[in-house]
Amino acid sequence: MICCKECLELLHDYLEGDLQPEVSTSLEEHFEDCPPCIAFVNTYKSTTHLCKTTLNSTEIPDIVKERLKEFVDKNKNA
Amino acid sequence: MGFSEPKEAKAEEEQLVKDLQAGKTESFERLATLFQKKIYALSFNLTRNAMDSEDVTQEVLLTLFKKIHTFQGKSAFSSWVYRITLNATYMKLRSRKKDQSISIEELLPSFNGSGFQQEKIQDWSENTESLLFDNETRETIQKAVDLLPDKEKIVFLLRDVEGLSTEKVGEILELTVPAVKSRLHRARLFLRKKLANYFEEYKVRKETK
Repeated sequence: MICCKECLELLHDYLEGDLQPEVSTSLEEHFEDCPPCIAFVNTYKSTTHLCKTTLNSTEIPDIVKERLKEFVDKNKNA
Repeated sequence: MGFSEPKEAKAEEEQLVKDLQAGKTESFERLATLFQKKIYALSFNLTRNAMDSEDVTQEVLLTLFKKIHTFQGKSAFSSWVYRITLNATYMKLRSRKKDQSISIEELLPSFNGSGFQQEKIQDWSENTESLLFDNETRETIQKAVDLLPDKEKIVFLLRDVEGLSTEKVGEILELTVPAVKSRLHRARLFLRKKLANYFEEYKVRKETK
């Protein structure tokens, strides 16, 4: 039986589907009996999603877009 | 757009680069439009400063224009752009860097002698979606990312936020695939712990209201 430590070390590869099938299965067997690890996996996945959504919303402000356009035009013709 | 992988976009990108190398300056404008948002966003996520990110974006665009002849096509054009963006951003940060990152080890999971988790792990993943638009949550997430050590932060931004492949991140940062994976995993563990602290405290605050 593999322990929490081993499971969490392999978590990245497990979620990417990079593990050998038998290793994946032993992780899943561990998770069945280990609510703390299930909570860990769920919150690990959630973390990625939350951070991605938050940081991906960075947009260039319109005023900066305009200044960049001027900058590009100026240099293009320089 | 600029950094996505579909074939047509890639073909357009390659053509624009060739045109610019051949002296057709009109293609500079199109390349700038394709790449400026990615340059700005990456720089902003590293500096958290609008003026710095604008400066970096201008510098990078100018470098693309002036140094296009030095691009030899050994790696993807977008990898080249990312590298220039990172260099420009790190130069900016160096001028006023106060080291505010904390040790990543403190926030990694802890285990007892038999390898079982020592902490009580709460599952807050169900209730976070609705908090995404909450300013406090967004600030907490941004601060947590700001606190990541540089090595882990950049891997996290390129892989999880930009959505680039592990291989591509390795190409940009000149790291092996296992090194990219290991840094990404450490970054996620660090961020998970930071967010766990926040959401658990948030829950207590709500319950005691």
